[in-house]
Amino acid sequence: MSTLNTRAKFKSLFIYQFTKYTEWPEDYKQGEFVIGVVNDGDLADLLAVAAKSKKINSQSVIVKKINSTADVSKCHVLYIDGSSPGEVEPFVSKANDYNCLVITEGQGMIDGLSAINFVVVGNALKFEMNKQLFRDRGLIVSNSLENLATKVIN
Amino acid sequence: MMRFLKYLMAVMMLIPLSSLAQLDPVNLALMAYQKKDLAKAKELLDKSAADSTYGAQARTWYFRGYIYKDLYKEERGKKGGSELRDVSLTSFLKSLELDQKQEFTKDSKQSIRFLASTIYNDAALALDSNDFDQADQNYKRYKELTSITDPEMDFRARDVEFKLYMASKYSIVFDDSTKDTPESLSDRIIELYLDVLSIDSSNVSANYNLAIHYYNQGVQMIEGMDQEDDFEKLFETQELVLELFRKALPYMLKAYELEPNRKATLQGLTGIYYGLSNIEKTEEFKKKLELLENPDGNKEGNDSNE
Repeated sequence: MSTLNTRAKFKSLFIYQFTKYTEWPEDYKQGEFVIGVVNDGDLADLLAVAAKSKKINSQSVIVKKINSTADVSKCHVLYIDGSSPGEVEPFVSKANDYNCLVITEGQGMIDGLSAINFVVVGNALKFEMNKQLFRDRGLIVSNSLENLATKVIN
Repeated sequence: MMRFLKYLMAVMMLIPLSSLAQLDPVNLALMAYQKKDLAKAKELLDKSAADSTYGAQARTWYFRGYIYKDLYKEERGKKGGSELRDVSLTSFLKSLELDQKQEFTKDSKQSIRFLASTIYNDAALALDSNDFDQADQNYKRYKELTSITDPEMDFRARDVEFKLYMASKYSIVFDDSTKDTPESLSDRIIELYLDVLSIDSSNVSANYNLAIHYYNQGVQMIEGMDQEDDFEKLFETQELVLELFRKALPYMLKAYELEPNRKATLQGLTGIYYGLSNIEKTEEFKKKLELLENPDGNKEGNDSNE
């Protein structure tokens, strides 16, 4: 039986897609493109494998595994794996210092914590988005992304 | 065998050497056989088989089958060995057809059974070297022959054994291949497992392996995806993958029902439910798996609750 973490693989593909629809401020368009991953080693590993051969917006990609809020630093994307808003919130607070696209998975997360939140609809991984949180982080999101979201908070 | 020896003894004892020239070619062939001259015996029996008189006698074909069987045993595994077996079988079958008095029938059937078993073994060997068409041909031939010698034979157990083995060999090829694996290969694997389940719906291996095949097929699809693929492709592939996971689930559940304490099945269910984003069920089977892997840990837990 294959040991691939199937959900993590799909999430890694989604995350790369999200970056194609998002524009970061000018000073984020240089240097390395940093993706931070909290509490999901498989996802971090899969993103890191892809990073070896893929660039995002012409920038080389590096993936950081984050174990505590102290590890949160300037990054373009921060995926936080946490089952409750309480678990996720400390990382979000820290990420608020940066122009960081915060992605989560869980009920209620989209209401004020993350700009993109994975949801499961009929077994399938989909996503909802909070446009206000894109704006708050100085990120410009393409209108076509919201057409694909299951729920959009303006 | 018995019939052959009796006949040989009779020929040797009753006929004086001076009369050898008078003997019919079948008896001469037996004399040659007695002298271990298989080539001569073969030549005489080939001629006899082609003769309108001797070719109409069951004994001619029976002895020809016998000689060719011996030749086949000598050449078994070598080039041309299976041709000798084919001639032997054709001869025994002809003998059965002509043997109105049932003089050679029992021995002919016995020899056909033996040769059929070698064909079955060859089918397995062909599978070992991934020669699936040859394996299929051999297995069909084995069944054809066995149906003649033993018309009441129930092939279900053998079918299950053979098809499971064939499916497992196909699966190895499938799992080792890239995303360019032909769909027909996967279809063949599925067909084989479904065939087994139509014979025995409670076959654990078929249920488990079919589920694993569907699951791995889904995983192979995901692995084939690239970060450059757009959302349309991503959603489309995800649906196809989920469909495969959904197909896998009932077979894995059946395997679990049949053998609830099998580690591989619990791992399978954990993987499938996780792939279907059913986290509650994933956790349920993960716990069962942990319990199975660490029963003492559980006992301690229970003790502390008491």
